[in-house]
Amino acid sequence: MSNIKIFSGSSHQDLSQKIADRLGLELGKVVTKKFSNQETCVEIGESVRGEDVYIVQSGCGEINDNLMELLIMINACKIASASRVTAVIPCFPYARQDKKDKSRAPISAKLVANMLSVAGADHIITMDLHASQIQGFFDIPVDNLYAEPAVLKWIRENISEWRNCTIVSPDAGGAKRVTSIADRLNVDFALIHKERKKANEVDRMVLVGDVKDRVAILVDDMADTCGTICHAADKLLSAGATRVYAILTHGIFSGPAISRINNACFEAVVVTNTIPQEDKMKHCSKIQVIDISMILAEAIRRTHNGESVSYLFSHVPL
Amino acid sequence: MFCVAPPELETKMNITKGGLVLFSANSNSSCMELSKKIAERLGVEMGKVQVYQEPNRETRVQIQESVRGKDVFIIQTISKDVNTTIMELLIMVYACKTSCAKSIIGVIPYFPYSKQCKMRKRGSIVSKLLASMMCKAGLTHLITMDLHQKEIQGFFNIPVDNLRASPFLLQYIQEEIPDYRNAVIVAKSPASAKRAQSFAERLRLGIAVIHGEAQDAESDLVDGRHSPPMVRSVAAIHPSLEIPMLIPKEKPPITVVGDVGGRIAIIVDDIIDDVDSFLAAAETLKERGAYKIFVMATHGLLSSDAPRLIEESAIDEVVVTNTIPHEIQKLQCPKIKTVDISMILSEAIRRIHNGESMSYLFRNIGLDD
Repeated sequence: MSNIKIFSGSSHQDLSQKIADRLGLELGKVVTKKFSNQETCVEIGESVRGEDVYIVQSGCGEINDNLMELLIMINACKIASASRVTAVIPCFPYARQDKKDKSRAPISAKLVANMLSVAGADHIITMDLHASQIQGFFDIPVDNLYAEPAVLKWIRENISEWRNCTIVSPDAGGAKRVTSIADRLNVDFALIHKERKKANEVDRMVLVGDVKDRVAILVDDMADTCGTICHAADKLLSAGATRVYAILTHGIFSGPAISRINNACFEAVVVTNTIPQEDKMKHCSKIQVIDISMILAEAIRRTHNGESVSYLFSHVPL
Repeated sequence: MFCVAPPELETKMNITKGGLVLFSANSNSSCMELSKKIAERLGVEMGKVQVYQEPNRETRVQIQESVRGKDVFIIQTISKDVNTTIMELLIMVYACKTSCAKSIIGVIPYFPYSKQCKMRKRGSIVSKLLASMMCKAGLTHLITMDLHQKEIQGFFNIPVDNLRASPFLLQYIQEEIPDYRNAVIVAKSPASAKRAQSFAERLRLGIAVIHGEAQDAESDLVDGRHSPPMVRSVAAIHPSLEIPMLIPKEKPPITVVGDVGGRIAIIVDDIIDDVDSFLAAAETLKERGAYKIFVMATHGLLSSDAPRLIEESAIDEVVVTNTIPHEIQKLQCPKIKTVDISMILSEAIRRIHNGESMSYLFRNIGLDD
């Protein structure tokens, strides 16, 4: 492929390398460093004039530093006469702050969208946005890829009794996501919702649906501190599930997440590598990873060649 | 009681802080009922304006009083002729902007095109386009109610107050459904499960979710992910692509997750427009043993044949608010009942004009509402 350059930010070098390898390209030379006052400095180490530039940077770890680094890299490429700059953001930062859920709350996802546009991004490639309406926060094209085909593939290949499973949403908000997966596997779904029977009673989790003598697969777009999914797992086991899996696109795993997973009754907690998981896997043997680099690589290839991307919404590249 | 009128509502509007002008941008007189109720509650008169169609169908707006330096509130309820309604609003907003209004606040109880709020195939995100047009025309603030998706607030570069009708609907359930404690809140599709949970939580009831054959208009089956290009062989697209091992069933059988037997079923949603999916849900709930079926929705669009279909259906009552005028539909179908929400809109206007906090209007509102 000619006239294409792929650069990696410092948030997820491993994923960037996998994407480049799949495309048969080398990662572009870039130096990102910090001045003594903690300002980020970026130097693009090769010409990008007239090139189709892709910058891979995920919203994880030191999230504000990584976001600023991405913005500076985009701007550096733009003012160095790149013909098009595409930000590949596997996990979109601030995606949960996508609405005013209380008075005076900022819509930070919209702010991030504006920042990316102002920096000079011409196109965004991301995965499993917390709400697909975030695409509308941009005035530039946004390709919101789905991990769903890769998740389906993993379930069929790794859970022997997948035909006797129930797909479970840990909250009512994820019901649409789980029914999509349940339909494609031709299995049942269930959801867990919080219920208060009396005014002074603490919320209790109520399972709506049947998991008795079945494998229960919890599905969500992200897990952060893992309180919800761990409570849900206990609920499913006490409701008669034989085994409990959790499958998540973005495994943030902050705070007490790892110890909670270790103490919970999960057979496995399966995440994609939109966020680096190596460190967490060392501390938790239950975490397994689905590689989605081939989906991102194929999206880049198709975008660069002017081909349709919609095929990736239901198929997994080998 | 979930929604009590604050004492200040009883008093006349405090208009010491600069002038306030209240306009209705509707040329259609049936759409002006809500505006009149709001004006009445605020103790102000409707501003003088003429909105009409030229013989060539262009919209003409003539503002017949000064708006210089004033807070202008433009109330626009959406008529069946939605595109004309939008143009009326935009032209009036722009007229006020170029007439030096201090601020121009749109009061749009039902935000049109709100279902088109995400990318589908190669379509447009129309609600984003509409938001951009409103901001460009000169809107400085928007008051609306129960946006189809709360994220639509992020499409605007101006403040948006997304008021909720749920306290009024909850109050209706508690006061008008005697045996409501034996009810179950039903989501007619997984997409509305969150709303159902929000109602169930506050009424301390259980929930049920319907899923299957009667796909709603927003099903992701119309999204790109279910429409690979029409190509004979997959290899022709790219040699490394793999077809999923199991093709999903076209239509999963209709299922109800949750127990509705021997209960009152209350289906909750934000919009009731084309009623086919509601009728299918009602049939399913009846088969599963529900003995009474109510439908509660904020926006009663009730398009085309909806009133007749509701009248002939298993649904016992459809409860909607007056964000959209539906007097004609009520004449055709006595099962349709209306809850008045002019109180909360007028209070929002009063608070914004007086620079008071809006938080009070969001009490008893959960994160999922």
